[in-house]
Amino acid sequence: MALNLDFTFDDQNYRHFLNGHMVVMHSHHYLALVTKLAEDLDDIGGPQILADTVEKSMFAIFEDYFQNNNITSPEAKEDVCTEYFSVFGLGKLSVNRSDEGGEATLRCSHIDEGWLKKWGEHSKPINHFTRGYVAATFAAIFNRSPGSFSVAEEAGMVTGESRGVFVAKAA
Amino acid sequence: MTVMRNDVVKALAKMHLHSNEEGLIPEYEVLVNLLPVSLLNAFAENLLAAAPERKDEIEAGLVRAAYECGYHTGCGIITSEIFSEVVMPMVTEGAKDILRGAYAAFTAWGWAKSGIVQLKEAQRMTVRAFDYYEADSQGEGLRAYMLRGLNQAFFDLAYADPYPDGMDTFVCRQVKGIEAGDDYGEFVVTPK
Repeated sequence: MALNLDFTFDDQNYRHFLNGHMVVMHSHHYLALVTKLAEDLDDIGGPQILADTVEKSMFAIFEDYFQNNNITSPEAKEDVCTEYFSVFGLGKLSVNRSDEGGEATLRCSHIDEGWLKKWGEHSKPINHFTRGYVAATFAAIFNRSPGSFSVAEEAGMVTGESRGVFVAKAA
Repeated sequence: MTVMRNDVVKALAKMHLHSNEEGLIPEYEVLVNLLPVSLLNAFAENLLAAAPERKDEIEAGLVRAAYECGYHTGCGIITSEIFSEVVMPMVTEGAKDILRGAYAAFTAWGWAKSGIVQLKEAQRMTVRAFDYYEADSQGEGLRAYMLRGLNQAFFDLAYADPYPDGMDTFVCRQVKGIEAGDDYGEFVVTPK
């Protein structure tokens, strides 16, 4: 399916909207440094705060789209979530569902490429943003609420892998 | 002729960014993303709520992320084809006009409805913003971390050593904020 994209501009306040949600442009420098900030704040749960924030924000956008476009099947919901990922400029994400979770694969990644451009390879995966995105995706597909799936990044491009792999399990 | 701000804003605001077959948006010599502002605001709010005692460290990290994004992306913007087409023909006053054009882009792309209100070249700049997405955030005090970083970046690009050697020459302080009850946000850039 092709996602319906409605880009609008409020010429009074100079705000941009995508499907009714205000969006703004930033670069890989921003998300790489936000990720680094989350990592640096590991002792207060920075990585999970980033993942949880992404999950809640994206889940709301998915649900809004499903309602406005009468999307009900898991297959169509999966398409919406993975296509949105690319529209946001975040890369190429695919999902394999099982009965109670599944796996998501990242073929191209804004965040991993951004990190690699700035600092090179790292000793462990760092894509907490996509971890949250995958959690939102599985919650949306399975008609659950945010927080219903725990997601682990089992392979990350910053460690030298060719693909990112995220495993989602019912929490 | 100097930079006709409204013309630049109108021309640049029409631009829409589209991802390529890899789901990426390579523009302005960087990879661009297009994210919901509710997410960006919520991340700052959630970090600060988790560790209020480390407010200074968290705020510095958020400003730094915006600064580096602004410095590198800003350079890509002012050397881009669209900037050359729309802004450069109006530039008659060198760095000052390029900076005015950059602030028109700043407005057109939704970072803030803002403009320069006072400029002492290479020394001091005051910027006012009458609408910006961080004004929608929840919390206490002045919270326009993104704008602090971007203002510093743009002044570094205009008046510090040529890119990429001019980083961290100036610093930006926020002195007013809509999010703190003021009518507008105000930002002052001075030498570090």
